[in-house]
Amino acid sequence: MKNYEPKLICFSCNFGWGFLTGEEKLKSKVKNWIPVACSGKIETTHVLKAFQQGADGVLILGCPEGHCHFQDGNYQTSKKVHLLQRVLDAYGIDQKRVKMVFAVDSEGKKIPQLVNEMSEGIRHLGPMKPV
Amino acid sequence: MWKTVSAGATRVEPAVKQFLPPCQVRCPINEDIQRTNVLISLLPEDPELATDGVIQIGDYLYDRNPLFNICGYVCGLCELDCNYQSKGGAIRRRLLKRFVSDTYTYHLDRKEEFNIAKQKENVAIVGGGPAGLMCAFDLSKRGYRATIFEASDRLGGALWLIPRYRLPEKVLTSACENLVRIAGIDVKYNTRVGGGKLTLERLKNEGYKAVFVAEGTPAPRVLTFGREKVEGQELSGVMYGNMFLYEVSHGNIKPGYFKGQRVIVVGGGNVAFDVARTARRLGGETTVVCLECENKKSRDGIPADVDEIRGAWEEGIKIVYSRGVRKIVGESERVKKIECPKCTNVFDESGFNPKFDTSDAIELSGDVLIITVGQGMERGALQDLLDERGGLAVDPLTLESSKKEWVFIGGDLRRIGFMAEAMKEGLIAAESIERYLRGLDIREGRKIDFEPQDIPLRRYYLNEPEVLWIPPEKRLHFQLFERGFTLTEAIEEAKRCLTCGPCISCKACVSVGIQEALPTVKVYEDRCSGCGVCSSVCYYSSAQLKEVEGKRKSTTDMFKCKSCGMCVVACPSAARELTGCNMEKRIQEVYASL
Repeated sequence: MKNYEPKLICFSCNFGWGFLTGEEKLKSKVKNWIPVACSGKIETTHVLKAFQQGADGVLILGCPEGHCHFQDGNYQTSKKVHLLQRVLDAYGIDQKRVKMVFAVDSEGKKIPQLVNEMSEGIRHLGPMKPV
Repeated sequence: MWKTVSAGATRVEPAVKQFLPPCQVRCPINEDIQRTNVLISLLPEDPELATDGVIQIGDYLYDRNPLFNICGYVCGLCELDCNYQSKGGAIRRRLLKRFVSDTYTYHLDRKEEFNIAKQKENVAIVGGGPAGLMCAFDLSKRGYRATIFEASDRLGGALWLIPRYRLPEKVLTSACENLVRIAGIDVKYNTRVGGGKLTLERLKNEGYKAVFVAEGTPAPRVLTFGREKVEGQELSGVMYGNMFLYEVSHGNIKPGYFKGQRVIVVGGGNVAFDVARTARRLGGETTVVCLECENKKSRDGIPADVDEIRGAWEEGIKIVYSRGVRKIVGESERVKKIECPKCTNVFDESGFNPKFDTSDAIELSGDVLIITVGQGMERGALQDLLDERGGLAVDPLTLESSKKEWVFIGGDLRRIGFMAEAMKEGLIAAESIERYLRGLDIREGRKIDFEPQDIPLRRYYLNEPEVLWIPPEKRLHFQLFERGFTLTEAIEEAKRCLTCGPCISCKACVSVGIQEALPTVKVYEDRCSGCGVCSSVCYYSSAQLKEVEGKRKSTTDMFKCKSCGMCVVACPSAARELTGCNMEKRIQEVYASL
């Protein structure tokens, strides 16, 4: 387990995260990063599919409550993710493997940091699929 | 058998209707308000970095509205129709624009001239106010050689009558002077058209192929009572509001001019309040007398803006409602007092037709009387353009004079209104002049109906920010009394905008790369079960169930849809899909690389 590095998928809302820095610059700093126009566009099947494809965790970065450009997209996301976490739990998948952070980071400086933090947080869980 | 005619009045008009956010419908020039709000909300918090963004926003606005720096101080019509009004207060769009203006005004001096080849005809513009400037700017951009004939020694027209405590001089002069420099417009100052030798015909003979007349309404309306002119208006101490403001703006009336004097202002419009608050700042003990009543919602309510009335009241100005003036009493050639009977009715079915209770009259004593009951045109110079009844003969759709086809008339001269309305007339005239000179149909497709969009649903609405005014006891001077937004406040307020309007009229997100393009929502009817989950998550009432051949099917109103994707995510039978968006592709690519 020592050399194990969890594979994370990171979704982030473009209206709240990194819009000043631009995708090209941030791309090199965040692995498996998928910027979206609203966190509300992310479907539960996207998250499940990530796990099926071998991801060990999914991080979703959205806007703070009341600040969604599409009114309440972030709220829809949090509803979905909370439910999904229960379902994952029921199947023996630790709910820590899906995490949401709702904040504004216009330069996206915190994105790599948040990915690392989550990695550390789920490292002990080991890989989703035994290698 | 009949023969169809398809020319002239029988030709089919294109049905033009456009959806916009309500603020943009209200704005006479339909400025791109939503787009600039979104862009302001995306500014960096570092002031130095933000300046670059503000100038980009300003450049965009400038192309469409070269006077926006001024509008940011004096307009705010857009706020009157903001959907947020019912939920916590209109977006303070005027202050947001002023925020851009506060940086851009200084940038203007360095802004490069437009690089436009002027190969089209010479056009004369009579009057350098908002209408004339807008017309000249638009024609200039289209390649015409525009020349403004300005009667005074400065551009801006009636904007000079706006007191400095509302509009700083630097903002006004910078906007006007840079406009003519940037667009390459010739200006002939101190040149009055129509009065003496320089007639409209002469302009034509000198090679101006079309003329836009927008010389405003410099003549004050005299005070009348029951159709009769009120006696005593020639007494010493009696003056007219617009002339008074003109003198103040020229620096001919010094601070403290009214010290120790009682000033009575007659009139209930915004100009009357500008006059009263100016007189107060010059030391006068000021009273406003108006025909209208206090209740703004009533038909006879006072027309001045709430903020003006509140400002005046705070500054210690007395307001006497529902009173007319039937007599000005003088003593040794100086005004002494006025007699004010009760006004029982201002308007009736026929319009302005005040009725009085002459038995109920009060007397108001004063040393100065400033009459501010409206303005009119200087008829003398416009004789050739009048109809039999003495009004201007002009087509309101195209602003073309019905007396001379090469003359166009607009601005306050045609109809007194707000600054932005005059600007709109300048744009209409420019379009008409181009069509006239190019031999195109001048009327075709000119009328566009705009329809405002409704307020989107959301869980929380935020209250409007407080606007900070300098306390009344400290603001009796001619410096600005309203504090503008800081960068942080501007970002916060811009974020509050609900972006009600359709995406195609905004595209702010595309312009800064947040989205590559505007996606659209596709509905697969064969998969739709008619459950209606989509409509329950749609904030824009775009996703709706409709009856199709006896079955409930989900539909999307493309005018209202913002492609936020909530319906796509919520649909349990994958009957909805976002197209024109690369999100799915990216997800697949990233997943494949795991």
